[in-house]
Amino acid sequence: MTTEEKVIKIIKANLEKKAVIKIDTDLRKDLGLDSFAMLMIVNALEDEYGISIDDQHYQKITTVADIVKSLKSHCPNLKES
Amino acid sequence: MRVRDFYSNLHVDKSLTVKYDFNPYYCDIKSGLTDPLIVEGNEFINLASNNYLGLATDERVKEAIASAAHKYGSSMCGTPIATGSITTLKKLEIRLAKFVGVDDAIIFPSCFQANSALFLSLVKPDDLVVIDHYAHASLVQGVRLAGCKIKPFLHNNPEHLKKLLEKTSGYHQVFVVTESVFSTEGSIAPFDDIVKLCTEFDAIPVIDDSHGIGVLGKEGHGIMEDKNIKNFNGIYTASLGKALANVGGFVGGNKSLIEFLRYSCPGLIYSTALPPPIIAGIDKVLDILEQDFTAIGARMWEYKRLIYGCLANNGFILTPSQAPITSILVTDLDACARMAKLIHNNHILATPFVPPSVPPNENKIRLIAGANLSQETILKALEIFGRIAKELGLK
Repeated sequence: MTTEEKVIKIIKANLEKKAVIKIDTDLRKDLGLDSFAMLMIVNALEDEYGISIDDQHYQKITTVADIVKSLKSHCPNLKES
Repeated sequence: MRVRDFYSNLHVDKSLTVKYDFNPYYCDIKSGLTDPLIVEGNEFINLASNNYLGLATDERVKEAIASAAHKYGSSMCGTPIATGSITTLKKLEIRLAKFVGVDDAIIFPSCFQANSALFLSLVKPDDLVVIDHYAHASLVQGVRLAGCKIKPFLHNNPEHLKKLLEKTSGYHQVFVVTESVFSTEGSIAPFDDIVKLCTEFDAIPVIDDSHGIGVLGKEGHGIMEDKNIKNFNGIYTASLGKALANVGGFVGGNKSLIEFLRYSCPGLIYSTALPPPIIAGIDKVLDILEQDFTAIGARMWEYKRLIYGCLANNGFILTPSQAPITSILVTDLDACARMAKLIHNNHILATPFVPPSVPPNENKIRLIAGANLSQETILKALEIFGRIAKELGLK
């Protein structure tokens, strides 16, 4: 599974409703996520990858691609399975 | 320059109210919660207040308040730790605790204040709060101010909550925060399941029963009665300004918790105590509940059933409400504003919720029919909603 696929799977598991999610999906505009919904996803990513993402950082995240980019910068040795 | 910038930055986006020439907030209400309600000089059907049992204008409650005002005056002009601790306040705290099924209670000037202040006193930065995604702003604010780790869980989803509780090592204390009735959805928390999970994972449950007290349960005692929860070992909060038809809020729990808060909660001990007339009003509402809840509660649920059924049959999209709340879901913000204006123009007072009160694209118009409304008023409301549905092309 690629990092992109894994991130999309994590997002889907933390949504109130089912949604179609692509790499360029805007989390707030397309999915209507509020601050707690964003926090749920960030917490799940932290748990999955064993990292800590600070508030200021995740406020800047807009799309799924932003998350993937952020993860790759947090975890340079990220392996895809 | 700094002062000028400060004031120029205080901006409220009123574009929607300008576009539709309609502002549903801060209406000029000229009457009490009577049937009809007088809004801006016109007769309205009140489907907006949280006066579930319709007791805000009950003659017995008014008389109790007036009598206490004559006896004690308007206020004790002091905090509970000083002159605010009148005997009737202490008695009411004990009565409320017994009513909802906890050992002891303390009364705050508002439930928002109780919820906000509570976490500041009890939660530390190395603690974890797991909180329902749709929890009320007062709980969210309190938790955020505490500076702890926050993990929201999917709304009313014990499976998701369990997954989060399985990963709590490293935190000092763990709290699970939710509400009984979610007021914009009308959904009810599976609190019995949540309490079981808290026991399993050594977490402290916190429940805000503001829309449940006086509403849920066979005798109106709230979420503990409704879910048959005994020996609750967590923290309970509720408003006194909804079904209990007065003002204020309270925190309940075991005696050591309440004793600790009495001496260490700044939101309580630096705030003027609830005034004696209000204490008497709440006490009288509890008397009425003990005597008449079966009949009053039945009327409240019947009105909900009629309104919910009518709107569903007329093509309105509704949240699957389990409480005496009917919430119309309107994803588009403009459509929500148009519908709210149409309802208002037909002299029904309702409450629109738009972001940030609700998530984006989940705008809602909430309707609550108090048990004081007459059957004729409800039938009139149903007829009006039928006309509105036709005008909106819903049916």
